[in-house]
Amino acid sequence: MAQDGPQSQTIAVIGGGIAGVTAALEAAETGYDVILIEKEPALGGRVSRLNRYFPKFCHPTCGLEINYQRIKKNPRVKVLTMHEVTAVDGEKGAYTITAKKLPRFVNEKCTACGECARVCETEIDDPYNYGLNKVKAARLPHEHAFPMRYVIDAAVKGSGDEAKIAEACKYGAVDFSEEEEEVTLNAGAIIWATGWRPYDANRLETYHYADSPDIINNVEMERLANHDGPTEGKVVRPSDGEPAKKVALIQCAGSRDVNHLPYCSMICCLASLKHAAYVLEQYEDAEVHMYYIDIRAHDKMQTFYERIKVDPRIKFIKSKPAEIHAGADGRPYVKGERTIDRELYEESYDLVVLATGMEPAARDISTGGDVVKDEDGFVLAIESGDGGQISCGVASGPFDVALSTQSGTAAALKAIQAVGAR
Amino acid sequence: MTAAIPESSRTYDLSFARWVRENVKGGDKMNLCMQCGVCAGSCPIGGEMDNGPRKTFMMVRAGMKDEVLSSTTLWNCTSCYRCYVRCPRGIPVTSIIQGLAAVAAKEGYADKEKVANYYFSRAFWWSARTFGKTDERLVTMKYFFSFGLAEGIKRSLANLKIALGMIKAGRMHVGMPHTIRNKSQLKAIVAKAAELEQKG
Ligand SMILES: Cc1cc2nc3c(=O)[nH]c(=O)nc-3n(C[C@H](O)[C@H](O)[C@H](O)COP(=O)(O)OP(=O)(O)OC[C@H]3O[C@@H](n4cnc5c(N)ncnc54)[C@H](O)[C@@H]3O)c2cc1C
Ligand code: SF4
Ligand code: SF4
Repeated sequence: MAQDGPQSQTIAVIGGGIAGVTAALEAAETGYDVILIEKEPALGGRVSRLNRYFPKFCHPTCGLEINYQRIKKNPRVKVLTMHEVTAVDGEKGAYTITAKKLPRFVNEKCTACGECARVCETEIDDPYNYGLNKVKAARLPHEHAFPMRYVIDAAVKGSGDEAKIAEACKYGAVDFSEEEEEVTLNAGAIIWATGWRPYDANRLETYHYADSPDIINNVEMERLANHDGPTEGKVVRPSDGEPAKKVALIQCAGSRDVNHLPYCSMICCLASLKHAAYVLEQYEDAEVHMYYIDIRAHDKMQTFYERIKVDPRIKFIKSKPAEIHAGADGRPYVKGERTIDRELYEESYDLVVLATGMEPAARDISTGGDVVKDEDGFVLAIESGDGGQISCGVASGPFDVALSTQSGTAAALKAIQAVGAR
Repeated sequence: MTAAIPESSRTYDLSFARWVRENVKGGDKMNLCMQCGVCAGSCPIGGEMDNGPRKTFMMVRAGMKDEVLSSTTLWNCTSCYRCYVRCPRGIPVTSIIQGLAAVAAKEGYADKEKVANYYFSRAFWWSARTFGKTDERLVTMKYFFSFGLAEGIKRSLANLKIALGMIKAGRMHVGMPHTIRNKSQLKAIVAKAAELEQKG
């Protein structure tokens, strides 16, 4: 190490979504040591919970799997799952990252044989499916999880299941002595890739999300359409399991609203067009109504919009609904003013999908040193301060997957420059 | 409200939007409107309005001065403030509607031939000013008889059953109208308001 150069040349990537995984790999493959820190039990972030990607409708595992292979082959990437970063401090060359290490109760000896799950009787709301179904407390996070290792929820602790599970594992992988602890990590540069969470639909008071199981948000729609989701891929009414043929898609649910998220989330128009395609594909006699202010299909996505638009079973209604509520008949109703002809409408649906926007997860993380967050909580991608902290993916702004990976590569390059030549 | 309103020699008076921006309270925020429709969709009496707030704002932009200032929207607004609270762009919708109504009144757009509920608001205002409260019996009677003696009797008889029902249900009192205490203070307030209005 040079005398007056940075003390650490390790690059820490916070968040193991598509952007963080890309940044980590790009940096590691040029010869730098990388720590990839992820709070969930598996990598992949939000993308691993999507059914398919617009614009080409490919399965997200295709994009992720190839990256996991690259991680497996590269000893320079150290993956830490179940580490939730709570604070960052320091300066270029000498950052301290504080993380909460959450107990997994399963160590690296796990072969993913599934014996623990077989004997486990405790059930929890499935976090992978946004709580739409129950799952065993001892489980694989999901079928394409990386690392391919089970996780046990703390709900088991102290129950009759604890001993049964410990006994069932033939490989000595279950360890209930694990406790939550605080750990500190050091790095010379930091890449923020903490991504997003769906805006809380309960805060949209006039849309009464909690009043009907048939009023859902767009991330739940992704799970409904997915074969390993709560309905095995059938788009049905959560209330009674009947086919959801008449579906309303509500754009800008929270976005472009000074009372909620003031910015355009950029991907939700496209995500809703994709959701229209899920419904149209499943039911011949489907009827989809998309309520919008204006359709925002950025760049080349216009052709995707035009492709979906030609189907006569989808109708576009230029109106931001004023109210959504559960009617006396139990069905969700959408109410407002059609702005083209000023007709007031009130119409009922099998399923109403709120296109909730993306809220930056970095909002909650306390940052020190030289990083700059804008008023909405996005970590600014410009080189702030001494350039030791960089951001990419949705941590830096509302991006789709293609832009997230591009920005991940760009962030890796900046991080390399920050820690200096080897 | 200081400047004189532009002359409306044309159907589309393109200086109207600028005038509203500069002279109506909240008018400077009107250009933030993205025509989403939440305001009109939220209005509890939106069905009773010809244009509603969203369309009104578009008409202001288009310079449709006459249509805007003679629309029922300005008079049917109950000031419930739902549109104001919900507007995703934070536009003071209610204030702008009220401001436009004030302009309309001043410019003679609110004359009795032009506004359907002119007589009603006059009766309402008379009761409020006289008793400090609205007495629904007197407001209704005064309103009905504004249309002439014969029309007044006809309308009163048609509503007799409702009135008796309301009395029976304890929803309408019999006897002298209720008044507020200290009516002289109310008078002073009204006088002051008139004085401020004069000053503009
Ligand atoms: C309904 C919906 C459908 C979409 N469909 C598509 C589509 O079809 N095509 C497309 O291109 N885009 C789509 N998108 C956008 C896409 O989801 C994002 O572009 C993508 O998720 C961005 O990846 P990311 O890595 O930046 O963030 P994320 O996927 O959010 O990953 C961030 C990671 O950081 C972790 N993390 C967060 N905070 C911490 C912390 N404190 N400590 C440690 N780790 C942390 C998270 O657990 C997560 O794993 C869709 C979005 C929505 C809302
Ligand atoms: S992408 Fe579409 S739905 Fe999402 S905030 Fe922008 S305009 Fe609204
Ligand atoms: S709610 Fe606000 S932005 Fe939407 S149409 Fe009404 S005034 Fe315009």
